Amino acid sequence: MEKTQIKPIFSVSDFIAVVNQTLEYAYPTVEVEGEVASFKVNQGKYVFFDIKDAGGSIGCFMSVWQLRVPIEDGMKVIVSAVPKLTQWGKFSLTVKTIRPSGEGALKKSFELLKSKLETEGLFAPERKRRLPIVPQHVAVIASTQSAGYADFIKILNDRFGGLRVDVAHVQVQGTDAPDQIIRVINYFNQQESLPEVIVIIRGGGSADDLSAFNDEPLVRAIAGSRIPTLVGVGHEIDTSLSDLTADVSAATPSNAAQILVPDRMEIIRAVRAQVISLLPRVLQLIDGQRQSVKDMMINVIDAVERAADEQMRRLLSLRNVLTQLDPNVVLARGYALIRGNVKVGATIEIETNKVILEAEVKNVINK
Amino acid sequence: MSSTNKSIQEKTAELNKLVEWFDSEDFKLEQALDNYKQAEKLASEIEKDLLSLKNEIQIVKQKFDSES
Repeated sequence: MEKTQIKPIFSVSDFIAVVNQTLEYAYPTVEVEGEVASFKVNQGKYVFFDIKDAGGSIGCFMSVWQLRVPIEDGMKVIVSAVPKLTQWGKFSLTVKTIRPSGEGALKKSFELLKSKLETEGLFAPERKRRLPIVPQHVAVIASTQSAGYADFIKILNDRFGGLRVDVAHVQVQGTDAPDQIIRVINYFNQQESLPEVIVIIRGGGSADDLSAFNDEPLVRAIAGSRIPTLVGVGHEIDTSLSDLTADVSAATPSNAAQILVPDRMEIIRAVRAQVISLLPRVLQLIDGQRQSVKDMMINVIDAVERAADEQMRRLLSLRNVLTQLDPNVVLARGYALIRGNVKVGATIEIETNKVILEAEVKNVINK
Repeated sequence: MSSTNKSIQEKTAELNKLVEWFDSEDFKLEQALDNYKQAEKLASEIEKDLLSLKNEIQIVKQKFDSES
């Protein structure tokens, strides 16, 4: 006797449910790469598009809040999604994340978001805040296992000390990285004792590795941080939208450490130079004082000499007067000196330059 | 930190004040040597303090893998 096999008869709804269960068991999440087509956003909430290649096309659905990077038709993307049969029997992918794939798509997405955020003024210079010259308390967001973090800490410790450094370990690439970094930014912004700077660092990598730093919610979280931000992502040539939004952008994690704190050796050199510069200044002042005393002495000697000359001149003048008054000088000029009573018959003495005469007064006539 | 409780900033400010004194109208030659010695002492202390400073690095214990 032939064995009969009982085949289940499903209702349509049950069959759809069974297919979905089977799909969920077989492919809880799939990653599919393809080109975007018929991209549209409905009611500002729901995103619909097709992902296709030369051999086929699948419809995709996602919420607008899950869309973290700008997408447009023709862009090559990788979607992480749950395959699903809808109640209308249409197969579709419910997308959890979507990211551009390949250099061209990454660049296109970067440029689209950059243009959008630039229009909103997120990169405007007037938004930039200054970092403290010597911060006391800083927060660092990095992968603590990365070479970039090790470089940052080494240079930070070499350059300066005395800082409180709170480090939050996060993934710095991959689809989870932006959300982790956003959570840490929020965490530090909610602390009672706020750090003075948030430093976000990541070493070099491919464009895809660094694309986490071009995530729109992350860029907005950096822009919205009430704590000033310093971002050092990738190598010198890499510029992410996080770099452009940060208050200060560093070329590399090492450069971030250089920007964050002054070099203690430079301070020491400057302090030494400051003190050394005092000595020549003191010597110069001593020389100045010496010259001043010398000048004063010269002035005093000049004054004394002038006074002495004046006295000498006066003395000579008096001597001339006295010379003119000397009776011998008068006699030498031919005058005579008469002594005795000037009356008739009296004997008088007449002294000339050369002789003394005795004479008798014969007559006296009044003038 | 050196024996005194002054911070590096306070010592630097003090040193700057001393250096300014040498250019000010208050400058007196008789006091210059004392002030110079004081500036040298402050510079040595600042150097010593700066070299002895260590950073206090703490890893945040909270995990950020998912919304807590």
